[in-house]
Amino acid sequence: MSTTSQYDFEVMTNEQVAQDVWCMRCHTDLAALLSPGQFVNIQVPGNAAHVLRIPLSFSRTDAKARTLELVFAVVGEGTRRLSAMQAGQTSTMVGPCGKGWQLPTRKGRALLVAGGVGLPPIVACARMLTQAGVGFDAIVGAQTSDKHVDYLLDELRALAPCEGCDCARKVLVTTDDGSRGIRGFTTAAMRNMLAEHAYGTVYTCGPQPMMAGVAKLAASAGSDCQASLERMMGCGFGACSCCNVALASGGYALCCTDGPVFDAKEVAW
Amino acid sequence: MVTTAIGPSMAVDLGGIRMRNPINTASGTFGNGIQFEGFYDVGATLGAITCKGVSAVPWDGNPAPRLAELEGSAIMNSVGLQNPGVRGFVDRYGTYLQGLRDKGCQVICQVAGHSVREYVEALELFEELAPFASGFEINVSCPNIAKGGAAMGATPEAAAEVMSALRPLTKRPIVVKMAPHDVAQIGRALEAAGADALSLINTIPGMAIDVRTRKSRLARATAGVSGPAIHAIAVRMVWECAQAVSIPICGIGGVSSGADAAEMILAGATAVSVGTANLYDPTCARRVVDELTQWVREQGADDVNDLVGAFDA
Ligand SMILES: Cc1cc2nc3c(=O)[nH]c(=O)nc-3n(C[C@H](O)[C@H](O)[C@H](O)COP(=O)(O)OP(=O)(O)OC[C@H]3O[C@@H](n4cnc5c(N)ncnc54)[C@H](O)[C@@H]3O)c2cc1C
Ligand SMILES: Cc1cc2nc3c(=O)[nH]c(=O)nc-3n(C[C@H](O)[C@H](O)[C@H](O)COP(=O)(O)O)c2cc1C
Ligand code: FES
Repeated sequence: MSTTSQYDFEVMTNEQVAQDVWCMRCHTDLAALLSPGQFVNIQVPGNAAHVLRIPLSFSRTDAKARTLELVFAVVGEGTRRLSAMQAGQTSTMVGPCGKGWQLPTRKGRALLVAGGVGLPPIVACARMLTQAGVGFDAIVGAQTSDKHVDYLLDELRALAPCEGCDCARKVLVTTDDGSRGIRGFTTAAMRNMLAEHAYGTVYTCGPQPMMAGVAKLAASAGSDCQASLERMMGCGFGACSCCNVALASGGYALCCTDGPVFDAKEVAW
Repeated sequence: MVTTAIGPSMAVDLGGIRMRNPINTASGTFGNGIQFEGFYDVGATLGAITCKGVSAVPWDGNPAPRLAELEGSAIMNSVGLQNPGVRGFVDRYGTYLQGLRDKGCQVICQVAGHSVREYVEALELFEELAPFASGFEINVSCPNIAKGGAAMGATPEAAAEVMSALRPLTKRPIVVKMAPHDVAQIGRALEAAGADALSLINTIPGMAIDVRTRKSRLARATAGVSGPAIHAIAVRMVWECAQAVSIPICGIGGVSSGADAAEMILAGATAVSVGTANLYDPTCARRVVDELTQWVREQGADDVNDLVGAFDA
């Protein structure tokens, strides 16, 4: 039986954290039910001309305090209105939606590859791995330096190294224009990382072309790969079949219920 | 002692499908009911649900993207009837749907096909495998499949041909889901061919072009428009059709409130489906039941049937 339901939320803080990127912290009972990599579908008040909700992953939940942290790029009308929501304002969100990250089944360090606002669920994944004692390196890409979300990068770097492992954790930062860190795409940096290390599992979220590249590199290195996909969503809970993802074996899965996190091998990139 | 006011009678009969209240769900916008159980008790609340269109064998549906949001309270989809085939559907949902029947909610199974033969095959399978179906809805109006679908319901002759072929296959009620054109003429032909009820409208074919790339915003050039923006058109078509036929009508199109449902009923609908609104407001259909009941009470009617077609032209 489906457990996805509708919950009220109240905005606690909502502030800009990078160029066109906002961080909203809110109170909601839903926070206690979410696992990393799942998503929520948010009703943004204020414009009846746009009816669909905004699906967002999250960077952090606190089950005890019932708080949820969302980090989102302002790309259109819905996310613009979301960025304008003020502390104390309320609305509803649908969740928990979809299947999140799975712990690795393969031994060895994990590699996290995030592009743009693919970073929030990757940070949630890093916390999950750390709790499970799985070490990781990370590559975080953005178009320019101004679009990097510094506080999330700091959180990634601060996550404690795994017990009994002497790995010098690496968090590599890339920009397309070279304004910070390594110039170029995350996949170029990934190729160098793979030359130095063997990784058990690669976790990735970002633009689809980037993830396609990451999946290919992971496969050729013999690593498992989990990828969090995005689609336009009508409902977020399996009611409309609007969010199809083509499968390597033929046919389609639904991003909102079979994903958003998929085993990269199963996706027809 | 608390005395509860006895509400108006809300029960309706959609061509032999006896519903506890007029509220139904539009095919393809309500999963197969189970997806909404986390939001409310579907079986205890709705008059009926209409399941996603199902064909004799599984269909993949169309490529991504299948959805775009439009300005002005509308969306556009080109799902194209992705479904697991009748056997897969019955395996996955049969037990749940029987449970809905047991709670007093009617279950309408939707039948899809590319040709008369495919409709016949699908209905034969349903007849054999789906004892939980209260009745069937024949989808001759899907705008999102390459052949069959809407073409099968495009003319009175083609629609009647499908209906006549299906009528002998089941004693259970048959509803026909109609496209948004020629509803009076095609409705009359379907009534003559033995339809027990009609449901209208399906989505309105539209286009959405990304002017930067000059490509469609969906994977297909055309797709079906739905949502609050089409409500007024749907009400007009229900009204036109209701004047042309004597079988009951299920009104569909942009319903998201009790007032929207009431308009459908005044225009001549016996039942009303909530569609796209289920997707962005998952508790909408439950609220529509409450609001519609309140409206009937406010109209001073004892029975919702007294208001069917009561539009004061
Ligand atoms: C499971 C999931 C998790 C997501 N998590 C995050 C997140 O953590 N942070 C974040 O910033 N964004 C995330 N997104 C993307 C976010 O949902 C969209 O950016 C947002 O819905 C755009 O809405 P809008 O009204 O502002 O833009 P619109 O005006 O509707 O569109 C602006 C642009 O965004 C694209 N877009 C619209 N909807 C989506 C969508 N559902 N997915 C991808 N692109 C879309 C459009 O094609 C267009 O190019 C996620 C999407 C999904 C499906
Ligand atoms: C995502 C989606 C899928 C649909 N799938 C079907 C379907 O399988 N069969 C069908 O007859 N109509 C289908 N429809 C059409 C609806 O049942 C309904 O007729 C139409 O959307 C108009 O009502 P609305 O504006 O309330 O949504 C679908 C509509 C949407 C939005
Ligand atoms: S968004 Fe409706 S099924 Fe996935």
